[in-house]
Amino acid sequence: MSPVRPTSDSLPAGALRAGQEAWFFCLRIHGGRYAFEAPLVTEVVRLGPLTRLPAAPSFLPGVFTHRGEVLPVLDIGQLVGQGAITIRPSTRAAVVHCGPWKVAVISDGLEGLVVIPRRQLEPPPAESVGMAEFLSGVARDKLGTIAVLDLPRLVEAARSRAVPAGSAGP
Amino acid sequence: MIEPVSELLMFQVGARVFASTVRDVVRIGNVADVPPGELVEGTSLGPTFARERGIVVAAEGGGEATLVVDQVLGVRSVPESELQPLPAFAAAVIRSGAVSGLVLLDEAPTLIVDLPTLVRERRSAAPAAPPTA
Repeated sequence: MSPVRPTSDSLPAGALRAGQEAWFFCLRIHGGRYAFEAPLVTEVVRLGPLTRLPAAPSFLPGVFTHRGEVLPVLDIGQLVGQGAITIRPSTRAAVVHCGPWKVAVISDGLEGLVVIPRRQLEPPPAESVGMAEFLSGVARDKLGTIAVLDLPRLVEAARSRAVPAGSAGP
Repeated sequence: MIEPVSELLMFQVGARVFASTVRDVVRIGNVADVPPGELVEGTSLGPTFARERGIVVAAEGGGEATLVVDQVLGVRSVPESELQPLPAFAAAVIRSGAVSGLVLLDEAPTLIVDLPTLVRERRSAAPAAPPTA
């Protein structure tokens, strides 16, 4: 639906200078702004009708098809104990690759790409519960605070927390 | 060139439609004709409403087991190119090995259920009630 390709037209001058700025993909979950490394995102798609899977953990509300491919949906809110994200006809998902896993991350709303100067990234709070457990940093822009997620670690935690019946890997 | 096809038995549990390969099915029967001890219900596919029809499968260790379903919808021949494995992440996190893949029917993913595994998982989770008659 929407390939995620940064364009310099939408950036402030000099924003692409290597090593000074980092690209993040920003979304909203239960009122909070979260982001993860933009290169993980391959595209943004509208969620099709979900097919629920038997014996699935709450953070996997189902699968859907996109261009003939079946994609699993990841509800980060459920995974970190913040409650389920409400799925609406307008809900879109960010399709991400995290190591061997390809998942469609849903949220309450997608902001898209943001550029954050690396020097503005602050260390995450020392808390180790809920979403804080998976933060790699905190940033601020003119719209407010952005919590930067270590998405590969979060997806791997989801896999390891589940009790699979079959293979643990692809 | 003729594309290989799979024969899938379509059945309904509750409001949801599932598929299974025909070769896993011994026969279709009525629940009323089966001793209660051979019935398998309350599986991870969800609750049944009508519980009228039974799909008879070969049980582990010999004998037969009858999976209680609401409706048997028939058999569909589906090109094998339309069969897909469960996405890797989903396969790694669901607590059942009874979903062997998906088939795209009218662009909607329909789950392909491994009936012997489904029966085995249900029986290992809670042994079937002994026959009452």
